[in-house]
Amino acid sequence: MCTRDCAAKLITVVALAGVAFGAGQVRKDLHFKVGKRPMISINNPYGPVVVRAGAAHQVVVTAILHSDKVELDQSKSHNRIDIVSHLLSGADQNNGIVEYEIQVPSDANVTLHSDTGRIHAEKLHGDVTVAGSEGPIDVTDCGGGHVHVRTLNGNVSLNNVHGHIEIMSMGGDVLMNQVTGTLVQVNSNSGKIRYAGDFGDEGEYDFTSHTGDIEAIAPALASIDVLARSDQGRVDSDFSLEPKHTPFYTKGGSAFAGTLGKAASSVKLFSFSGKIHLKKRQN
Amino acid sequence: MTDAKRLKGDKLTEAEAIERAKLGDAEAFHALYDLHRRRVYSLCLRMTGNTASAEDLTQEAFLQLFRKIGTFRGESAFSTWLHRMSVNVVLMQLRKKNLPVVPLEETMEGDEEGTVRKEPGAPDERLAGSIDRLQLQRAVDELPPGYRTIFVLHDVEGYEHNEIAEMVGCSIGNSKSQLHKARLKLRELLRMNRAEKAGKR
Amino acid sequence: MNCVEFERVLLEGEQTPEQQAHLNSCSACSNLLADLQLISNQAKSLLAADEPSPAVWNALESRLRREGIIRPGESAHPSFGDLFWRWRTAWLVPVAAAFVLVGVVRLHHPAPAGDNAPIAKQSVATPPVTAAVSSDDQQLLKTVASRPPAQRARYRANLDDANAFIRDAQDAIRNDPNDAYRQQMLINAYEQKQMLYQLAVDNVSEQ
Repeated sequence: MCTRDCAAKLITVVALAGVAFGAGQVRKDLHFKVGKRPMISINNPYGPVVVRAGAAHQVVVTAILHSDKVELDQSKSHNRIDIVSHLLSGADQNNGIVEYEIQVPSDANVTLHSDTGRIHAEKLHGDVTVAGSEGPIDVTDCGGGHVHVRTLNGNVSLNNVHGHIEIMSMGGDVLMNQVTGTLVQVNSNSGKIRYAGDFGDEGEYDFTSHTGDIEAIAPALASIDVLARSDQGRVDSDFSLEPKHTPFYTKGGSAFAGTLGKAASSVKLFSFSGKIHLKKRQN
Repeated sequence: MTDAKRLKGDKLTEAEAIERAKLGDAEAFHALYDLHRRRVYSLCLRMTGNTASAEDLTQEAFLQLFRKIGTFRGESAFSTWLHRMSVNVVLMQLRKKNLPVVPLEETMEGDEEGTVRKEPGAPDERLAGSIDRLQLQRAVDELPPGYRTIFVLHDVEGYEHNEIAEMVGCSIGNSKSQLHKARLKLRELLRMNRAEKAGKR
Repeated sequence: MNCVEFERVLLEGEQTPEQQAHLNSCSACSNLLADLQLISNQAKSLLAADEPSPAVWNALESRLRREGIIRPGESAHPSFGDLFWRWRTAWLVPVAAAFVLVGVVRLHHPAPAGDNAPIAKQSVATPPVTAAVSSDDQQLLKTVASRPPAQRARYRANLDDANAFIRDAQDAIRNDPNDAYRQQMLINAYEQKQMLYQLAVDNVSEQ
């Protein structure tokens, strides 16, 4: 049970006076003390958001505000911190920019949003939830939690990420390198989907697109049960798959289905008209 | 699936979600979770005063519920079932940690001086106006666990004394007297809080 | 009745004439009663006042999957609930829900196909066209109307892409409603549109 002192100490904020940084730019530094598994939410319409794992029990925020047309709103409740770049009258995509660099405990759950800026999350073990629009999104060395990414047209890049992963993109390409988990799901419209990894963890890998091409590069000793199908696009596999009995085959389009190794993981590669290629990794 | 019905009111949506959850449908479980998550979490948070514990207990309450969803026959409202389960989960946790669920039996007969006399300095002062929700929240967090349990179950969650007595294993009289003491303690905490703020100006 | 007796009777919650008489004459007890009632009434504001972090559902879902309570066959596609409920979508609720539900309705009650013969002719993927806009889409476009022109154009383009996907998926499923691949395509198409709506709405409060 939190005593009054405990509650008071749980989150403290030290806001240093803004220091002039560039012409019209102001830097703000914030420091919060937090408990286990804090929840941090950053909502920044314009500008990058970079979040990395830092020391336990503290959140350190450095924000560079590009003009006086944007201000930084912060609120805290129990173990939750919300930071919003609040656009004032006359703000636009340039003068409304705020650049964030944030260090959080590695067990933090983070929710990050930016329309135009780059979003980067690194070395986190909690849940990572990202919503972007045009800027690139990259998630690196994260594992153990859920990773949920939504974007309209920004490219998404995941490197060495493990867990439960769901990505949705309209036109942004989705690139995954060494990504495994119990569920790895990508739903794209025209964005390309490219996966290079082991398809491990006895997971479920579902990659679907409307028109975007899908390329999956697996090792020779992959252990997968794979279905691939495109109504309009070409479908190729570098592997000789063990055939399987399945009602999956259709009355039209291109498809293949089969297993490799012990078929530990399930892999579905579906596109309406994009090309699908299951490639063998060249070691 | 009778999709047309889904577009009608919430009750049908919950009922359908329950039936689909019995079949193992992920969407249905999530829908049920979303319908009730705030109520369950708030209960756990009020009773433990700690977000990490509250989140763990929320997860546990829903997990126990969902494990048994196949046995739900609809004889009582789903939410009633869920909230009872949540209360039980929290009480079990408090007992495991040897935190008092309800203080030892006390009756007002033993308390001759009464409450009002304990405040000789300011008998006429009231908590004027409304109480800020955050202030009340903080004050509840500061209550001793036993008082907090009864206050949350009765005044926040709306359980009757006979229900509380059954859940926590005390007498109805004990439940009533602990509630009264909890409210008195809250009054004291809220007045102290106001006095501190006034003093700082 | 003195103050001690008054307080004892207070517990029982009865309004007796003696209590009332004491209240009329004792400001301390009158204040006490008013304060306790205020506290009790305000307590309701704490009901369902707090929101757990998304981590709670995420951890719960993982457990349910591991224990087999969520069955894989019943959740072969991403739950629209995960995306749908995660962000506030006030006006969006009936609209977006209707999208995915309409998609599901059409899975089970598609426009009648001529026969079950193999598809003789396959249509090319529908290129995004600036078609006539539905009233729901008009609502979306109104939501982003105050954005810079380049942003508005991107939303419009994405809307066209999402609608193109839905049209293609609907056309395909008419020919074989039981085709699991086509079912998943249709649901994915609706979920993309739902995401578009959600992102548009999420950003409203910032402007």
